Order: sequence, then structure tokens, then C-alpha cells
Amino acid sequence: MKTPTKSMLLIVLLGVAPCATAADNNAPELTLPVDTFKWKCKFCTFEEGHSGYAEGGIGHVDDDSFKFGEYTGLNEDGAYFIGDAHYRYRGTEAHYFDLDARNLGLDSRSVEVEGGRQGKYDLFLNYDEIPHFISDSAVTPFIGTGEDVLNLPPGWVRAPTTTGMTALPGSLRQVDIETQRERLGLGIRFIPARKWQSSINARHETKEGTQRIAGAFQFDATQFLQPVDYTTDEFDASATYTGHRLQARFAYYGSQFKNSDESLTFDNPFTSLFGADAGQLALPPDNDFHQLLTSVGYEINKKTRLTADLAVGRGEQDENFLAPTVNPAIVVPTLPRGSLDGRVDTTNANIRINSALTDRWQFNAALRHDDRDNKTPQATYAWVNTDSVLAALRTNLPYSFTTDELNLSADYHLAKRTRVSVGFDHEETERTFQEVEETEDRTLWTKISSQAQDNFSLLMKAELSDRSISNYMAVPEIFPPQNPLMRIYNMADRERVMFGMQVMATPRETVSIGAGVEHAKNDYDRSVIGLLSSDELSVNLDASMQLSEKTSLYVFWNRQQISSKQAGSSTFFSTPNWLQDEDDTFNATGIGFRHTIVKNKIDIGADYAYVRSRGEITVSTVVPDPSFPDLETRLNSLKVYVDYRLKENLSLKGTVWYEDYDTDDWQLDGVQPDTIPNVLTLGETSPSYDLYVVGLSIRYRFNTTMQK
Amino acid sequence: MNMNKNRWLITCRLGLLLTLSLGVPAFAQDAKEGKDTDETAAKYSRRGADTCLKCHDEESEFPVFSIFKTKHAVPADKRTPFAKLQCETCHGPIGEHGKMMLRKGQKRAPILNFGPKSAVSFEQQNEICLGCHATDGRIGWKGSSHDQVDVTCTSCHDIHAPRDRVLAKNEQPEVCYNCHKRERAEFYRPSVHPVRFGEMACSECHNTHGAFTASLLARPSLNQTCYGCHPEKRGPFLWEHAPVPEDCALCHAPHGSIHPALLIKRPPWLCQACHSQAGHPSAGLTGAGLPGGTPSAFLLSGACTNCHSQVHGSNHPSGVKLMR
Repeated sequence: MKTPTKSMLLIVLLGVAPCATAADNNAPELTLPVDTFKWKCKFCTFEEGHSGYAEGGIGHVDDDSFKFGEYTGLNEDGAYFIGDAHYRYRGTEAHYFDLDARNLGLDSRSVEVEGGRQGKYDLFLNYDEIPHFISDSAVTPFIGTGEDVLNLPPGWVRAPTTTGMTALPGSLRQVDIETQRERLGLGIRFIPARKWQSSINARHETKEGTQRIAGAFQFDATQFLQPVDYTTDEFDASATYTGHRLQARFAYYGSQFKNSDESLTFDNPFTSLFGADAGQLALPPDNDFHQLLTSVGYEINKKTRLTADLAVGRGEQDENFLAPTVNPAIVVPTLPRGSLDGRVDTTNANIRINSALTDRWQFNAALRHDDRDNKTPQATYAWVNTDSVLAALRTNLPYSFTTDELNLSADYHLAKRTRVSVGFDHEETERTFQEVEETEDRTLWTKISSQAQDNFSLLMKAELSDRSISNYMAVPEIFPPQNPLMRIYNMADRERVMFGMQVMATPRETVSIGAGVEHAKNDYDRSVIGLLSSDELSVNLDASMQLSEKTSLYVFWNRQQISSKQAGSSTFFSTPNWLQDEDDTFNATGIGFRHTIVKNKIDIGADYAYVRSRGEITVSTVVPDPSFPDLETRLNSLKVYVDYRLKENLSLKGTVWYEDYDTDDWQLDGVQPDTIPNVLTLGETSPSYDLYVVGLSIRYRFNTTMQK
Repeated sequence: MNMNKNRWLITCRLGLLLTLSLGVPAFAQDAKEGKDTDETAAKYSRRGADTCLKCHDEESEFPVFSIFKTKHAVPADKRTPFAKLQCETCHGPIGEHGKMMLRKGQKRAPILNFGPKSAVSFEQQNEICLGCHATDGRIGWKGSSHDQVDVTCTSCHDIHAPRDRVLAKNEQPEVCYNCHKRERAEFYRPSVHPVRFGEMACSECHNTHGAFTASLLARPSLNQTCYGCHPEKRGPFLWEHAPVPEDCALCHAPHGSIHPALLIKRPPWLCQACHSQAGHPSAGLTGAGLPGGTPSAFLLSGACTNCHSQVHGSNHPSGVKLMR
């Protein structure tokens, strides 16, 4: 597929562009259907000048919590600077400049700048920080957290179990698990010729911090933190032609990922029978990806449109391998190669035709082809199991996937804005080196979309889907083998039913109500071991009301339940003897209002959200065993604000935000670093907080624009 | 398998040939044609926007002056409505709507307007916007999921507003939640992408104007969309974990989960849905493994990931079991 596809693409790119440009040079200027000589626009208030606002103030968080400040940067007890700004310049001859700055006092700050001469060129610059405060309750005895070598402290006593590690309690230190992304983007968009638009963008991102990881020695394991010091550079360039009937886009995308750390070496806190005093993990290797993309849309006639796109990409990774082990007591045969020379070729191609054969009937057909062709060379490797024991040779499996899909559908337009659609989708997926060579999904669906009444809209959809598979066979390279009754669910026979409905009504101009339900059921009807079934039900209700000219109110409620059943067999190669039942329930309710106390002077508002989740897990085995407590989270969040306009261009804003959050998570609760005899954990606790944030800021508006 | 591939190759080549044979002459033909119009000069206003603004002033039922703060009202940019037919570029010729004198009880004839109450079909409303804006990501609009349920441009975009909320990262999700109610709630789940904190907009993953992928994704496949922010998972790795390069959504719920790391289920059961080897992978783990019983490494804290930490794949020669 690769060579003919790429030559086709080249022909399109080389053949089309000069034709378009040549044709464009001969094209007549567009003429208006009426003489606009007298259309002086003297009442039009075009902008010229500067405007914007600057807001500054102080906020205060009254407690530390990584969970509360997870993505905002409000994770620390104490004061913070409130800083936002917006600046806008409009000049003559379409010159403009916009600047937006948000959260300047927090680790989630961002600045966006755009400017240029509209219709000729636009320049973009943006800077964005995204924090992720993951956990502030982790403890570890290791020295060097955040670096690529982790050592145990002097005086460490190795032991066969965690309870024997006598130096552990005195050497635990608290470590934060967090990352910070910083992104800088630059771009330009310009008009090289009539009907053409081009853009070039570059983005540089660094991600620094720590993440959880673990290292094992046979059946003894230790959790610790890996350093995160990533750099990602992305570049894309595109040229788009927009004609009356034809539109085409040609683009290139490139991405390069670099990791400053290639490995993480860590001491073994357990007694090792194999001389494994240390281990080494590989950290994500540098990689890159390049892609050429083209999209074409063509209006064959007033009633028929053709759309097609093609994306051809290549991803590569060729970092030198680490040594198979850092255990000097183990002699390993030479590796078959020094690096992977990994290469993946991707092809994503689509073509779609939509045609309104009559005023009421429309037919649609689409073909899709997605291919991941893994050209990474295979070889047989000698390897060492957890720096402890030389293991049996193993050959790597470079997985490839190909999906071909055909979609056919017909839409019928009933009177006044009601559309009934029926469709059939046929999807075939081929996989290499896996248990199933080919899966086939057939889906029949129907949809009704109606806005027949001005104040009522309805969307209903239903689908029936069936998946069948070619033979399910064990993968010979995988050892030890799976239970022959196992069916991996994405490659298993499946029956699926889905139904959904959403209605929105505006019984009065000032009231709008919505309700919806969606139910999906997956039945893996031929699976005996593995996932047997999954069900999802979602219900939502919402309403918004304009109670008066000064007061508006909204309320929403959503409930989702996801249930699943899976079976397993702990007896070697036998029928199931345990069943896991899981019910995850999620409820979210919110209410809020806005009220003007004094027009153009005092506004108040409040938002309240109550969110609760529960995970109920039951595992039934041959003997009755203790059950699991529920996994729960509870969130209450209330925000109240007051906006007081001191003068025309000066206003004061006060906010009070209360939030309390609680979790019950049996996987973490009561699990100290030495609770599990053979796992030295980070001892994290499930997050909870109960805190206030208050803020007071002044916003100054300025506006020197003349309205011409 | 070979037959299917050949069939696909033929289909693909035919399709590309079709596109090519239509595309080359289409460029030439397209450039020669202007926009079809059957409006006559007689139906347009006498003074353009000045006619409209006599009634549509700041105090009117339908104030429109905010348009002058937007990119649509920049006459020096010849592409914009105010460089062409001003209000009537989008709203069509004024026709009877501009009649000065109305008889008693007579209602003013409507102008072409946008939204659910418009007399014009959704498709025709969108054609007006697409007349200029069928560029880049909007090439695939026709036949896309939003088009198929009659979403109009004005369902999401505020044209007569100084600030189009859907273009601002921290305000965009609220616009999407008007229809996508379930997603509003999903972003309150304990493990999420930072959408409700204003750090991510829906359009960072989705091309809402039309894409061929099932969920209108921004890049040609789901995995390529995820690798935009998570390139360290892209590999390829020496030892791959099969579901990872196939589809991130086999294990993760992008809109949020009650389980850590946006997982659809948590280990060990997430892993045991696919792993059944004899020994500890197929053990039936119960509450007996909780701290009050015999604390189990296979159940507590990271469960399977206590040892098998390299779940996305490993480039270590000894990373066969994703433990190095």
C-alpha cells in the first residue's frame, strides 16, 4: 500500500497546486450584485484605538491540598496574586493586536498574543503552563528522588519482607508527585494568493517533575518516583485553497520527543538471593513522527459533495539499548542489535460522498482505511528477569493493525426540520501477532433529529451491532500461554445494543428544559473467561430560567452507571471459578444563579455542585471471602461572587469559594509503606480536603477607541 | 487476507483516481466560476448597513452593534462582509423587511436570520457561513456528525458578540455542554483531563467542524490525537503492550473516570480482562487481600503495576514482562 499511495499523493500535490495557481491567475474578480457606491456606512461604529482591562488582586487558600489545586496551581496554603489582563488594539488598514493573560500569579498562567494585518497576515504567540499536582502524601526512603539514580540511605538494612526493614521508619521522607508543562507556541498565517491561505506553527513544550513507577526483583517490588524531563517540539505547515466548489488542504506535521533521562537505576531494599543489589528501568526513549496530510472537498453539483483525505506518516525510535542487566553476577549473551531501529508507517485515508438525490432524500457513503504498519525488525533477545535470573530467549512482536470501514446511510427529510436517518457500518480489523487475525463489526443504526417546533428539539438514536471473529488461537511467542477459554474483549464476539434520546424544550422564552437518556449494553456472548458483559446507563436533566430581567438560574443533574462482569479461573487451564461484578455509579448535581442587585452597579452570583461517585466491586469465588468496601468520592463545591462597580471603568470583585472533598479508596487506605510484605509502597493516602479560598481584585477598564 | 488487501488497494486507487480526475479540472473550472446568485439588485437596500442600523440601534429588540468589534467588520480586509454587502452579505437582500411604512396590524416581513427559529433551512444557514469559511478543518463538514444532526454554525458561534465564547479555551466547554450534557458531568469525575479547570478546551482533541474519525477527533486517529500531549507513549518500543498502539480507549476513558489515571477499570481486574496465564495473573482476588486480612501485592496500591510498571511498553532488552 505504501509505494502506490505515496506516489498518488505526490501526483496530487504536484499536479494540483500549479493548476490551481495558474487557474487562479486567469480568474475574473468577483463582482457584487448591486451598486454599493452609496453604502457609506456612516452609522457603522468601526473600532480604532486601544481597549481592554487589567485585573489585580490577592487571593488566599487556607490549606494545602494537591487534589484541590490539581490543575489550577491552588495547591498551597497561603496568598497568591490574582492577575489577568486583556488588551486590544485596532488600527487603520486592518491592523490589529490582541493580548490575553490569565492566572498570572499561579502555575497555570497563560498568555496569548495575536496580531497582524487582517486579510494579509496574522502572527500568533502563546505561552501556557499546565501544572499537574498528583500526590502530596507519598513517602520514600530513597535519596535522589527526581534524579535518575535512587539510592537507599546509609545504614539501610535489607530484609526479605518490608516488616524486617528496620531502618525504614526513620528514613522515610515526604516527596511530591507533580509535573509542570510549559508550552511556547509561535505561528504565522498569511494569504500568499487569492483563495489561498497558508500557516506555519511551531510549538516547544517542556514537561518536568516526577511520576510514579515501580521496580521488582522477582516477587519483591518497590514503588518510587521516576524523573520527568521531557521536551517535545512540534511543527506544522499547511496551505489551503478555498474555492467556490473546491477546497483543498495540504499539510505537514512533525513531532520530536526527547527525554533527558534514558534510565532509572535504583537500589534493591529487599534481600536478594540472586545478587541483585540494584536494578535499572528504561525510561521512555526519544522518538519522532512525521506526517503529510491532504484533504479535498468538491461540490460535484448543487446536490452532491465529495470529501476525501489522506494522511501518511512515519514514526521512528532508535535509541541505544541499555544493558540487559546491571547485576554483575549474570553473564548475558550479546544482544542481536544495539538499538531497535523501530519504525511505524501510518496511513489514514477516507473518502465520503453525500448526495441529495431528491429534495427529501439524501444518500451518504464513506470508506475509511487506517493502517499501522509496524516495520520494526524482529530479533530474538536474551534477557534477564528483574536483574535476577537469565530467562528463556524471547522474540519481539511488532504489532500492526489495519482497519477498513464502509459506512452507508440514507436521510429522509420529513416536513419541517425533521430528519430520519438509517445506516449500516461494516468494519474489518486485521491484527498481526495476536490471538485473532480478523474481526468484523456490523452495525445497523437509526437516528431521528427533529426541530419541527420552534421551542422543542429531539434527538434519538439506536444501534445494533454484531462482532464476529476469525479463529481465536494462542500466540506461540507468548509464554506462559493464556487459558484457552480466555477471550480478549476487543477481539471477542460481541453483541451490542445502544439507545439514546435527548430533548430540549423552551416552553416560554425565559425557560429552557433538557432531558436525556443513553443506554448501551455489550454482551460478549461467546466469552467464558475475560470480560463477559458491560452496561452503561446515563440520565441527565437540566433547566435554565430567566426569572426576571435581573435574575437567572440554572440547575443540572446527571447520573451514570457503568456495570461489568468478568470471569477468571485460578485453576490451570480450566473453566471459570471466580466472577467479578463491578458497578460504578456517578452522580453530579449543580445549581447556580446570577442576580443584579443594582443595575450596572452590583451583581452577585453563586454556583454549587455536589458530586458523588461509588465503585462497588464483588468477587465471588468457590469459598465465601470478605467483600470489598465501596470506593467512594464526595465533592461539595460552593462559589459565591460579588461584582461592585465603583466607577464607570473601575470595579471590585470578591469571591468566596468553599470546597470539601473526601475519598474512600481501599487500594490506598491503610496501606503504609510496610503493610504489604513484598511491596515497599509510597504509602499514599486517598485525598481529602476541606478548605476556603477568598479573593479580592480590582479591575480597571480602559477604552480609547474612536468609533468611526 | 490478501484478497481483501487487493480489493482495498483497487478501491483506494479508484477513489484517488476519481478525486484526481475531478480535482485537476475542478481547480480550473472553480476559478472561472463566481458565486451563483439569482438575487436581483432591486431586492437590496439603498444604503446598506445604514438602512439596517436606522432601526437596529442600541435600544432595539435586536441590538447588533457588537459586530463592529469583531473580525467580520473590517472593511480593509476585502474578504469580510463589511467589505462586500455589509449586513446583507450574510442576511441576504433586505427585500420586504426594509419596507418603511407598514399598514396597521401588518407584521414586518422577516430578514434571513440564523438559529432554530429561522425560516431558512439549517443547511442553507450553514451554506452562508461556509461560503467563506469552508477552509482547513471545515472541509469535512458536510456529512460529519454535527452536520447530520443539523447543528448550525450559530449553535456554537456568537457572531454579533465582541467575544465569541467558543474561541476562548476557558469558556468553550460551556458552549459544548449545551448539547453534550453528559460530558459536563463527566469532567467532574475524580480522574480527568483539566477541562473544567479552564486548562483544556474540547477543540484540543476534537475537530468539531468535521473529521472522519468516529468522535470528530483533531488528528487522523485517536492514538495520534493522544500522542500530541503524550508523545512519550508513542514508541515504537521493543516490547509493546498490544492494546496500547491499537487504541488508548481500550483502557482509558478520555472524559474522566472514577478510577485512577482515567482508567475504565482499575488493576487487577482491568488487566485480568485480558490476562489469564496460570499462576498469579488468574488468581481470584477478594477482600481477603485487604490490609485487615493478608495484604496482597496483587490487589493493593498499584496492584499489577506494583511490578509491571511499564504498562505502555518498554524499550529495555529485559522489559519482556514490562517490569524493566
